[in-house]
Amino acid sequence: MVPTSYYIALSGILFALGMIGVLTRRTAIMVFLSVELMLNASNIALVAFARSWGDLTGQTAVFVVMTLAAAEVAIGLAIIVAIFRKRETTNVDDLAAMKG
Amino acid sequence: MMIAFILLGALTLVGGVITIAARNAVHASLGLVGTLISVAGLFATLNASFLAATQVIVYAGAIMVLFLFVIMLLNANAPITGRDPIPFVRELAGLGGVVLAGSFVILAVSYKDPLPLAAATTALGGGSASVIGETLLTRFLLPFEAVSILLLVAIVGAVALVQRPVAQPDNVPDSEAELLAPPVGSAISRGGQQPAFQQQSLQHKNDEGEVRA
Repeated sequence: MVPTSYYIALSGILFALGMIGVLTRRTAIMVFLSVELMLNASNIALVAFARSWGDLTGQTAVFVVMTLAAAEVAIGLAIIVAIFRKRETTNVDDLAAMKG
Repeated sequence: MMIAFILLGALTLVGGVITIAARNAVHASLGLVGTLISVAGLFATLNASFLAATQVIVYAGAIMVLFLFVIMLLNANAPITGRDPIPFVRELAGLGGVVLAGSFVILAVSYKDPLPLAAATTALGGGSASVIGETLLTRFLLPFEAVSILLLVAIVGAVALVQRPVAQPDNVPDSEAELLAPPVGSAISRGGQQPAFQQQSLQHKNDEGEVRA
């Protein structure tokens, strides 16, 4: 049996990788891919804790997170396509109209 | 078991590095596919068989197809070159990532299992579809229904966002069309105004015909 702490460490490293991607990538689609990486990291941690406590709540939460990710991707990609039609760009640096 | 974890964990991290470092967006999304399938394998080692199957079907199947479709539709696979407007963003992000990962690893090492792992694993029932479904439809019925509404809203929202803006109406009443019509010289160049112009010339012909009659 692999200890739970190994899974948590892996999940933390994967989450940090996703965070680096969100901060450094400049195409909107690549930022989205990095967000998916972070969601998967949290899923690993949830399933590992579910096994650790012998409780199915964590696995149910992962199921909800997956549905949420599907909805988020559908809406987010639709927004990217709509912006691309209007502005001809997916560079997040050009989309700073709402900067305070 | 340990060998499977090391292999799948290494594949997960390699896929993640490809995802954030690849210059071509298609390569990056293929790296993410590798990560997602490895995570499905990790779920299987954690006795979550139903989630492993769902991960492959929903994530590696449906979501990644959507991503690749949009990347190719927008022709967005080329990286953005040119100076980054924020100075030192790569160095700072790398530093922040290392600090975050390090603190997670320290937290993970200090974690103690509340139950013996073997006993907790048997309580999960293998994470099969029947036990997950029973939990979802008894203890978590309200979140389950809320998620169904969320999916409906997402479908409607996606359709509303990507539909083309409604075209200019053709059947504008004549008085309004005359008010909106630009001077005759520019009317020919704009497609939308042509019917009004043709109507005017037809009227002139009619006038001439009446004069002849």
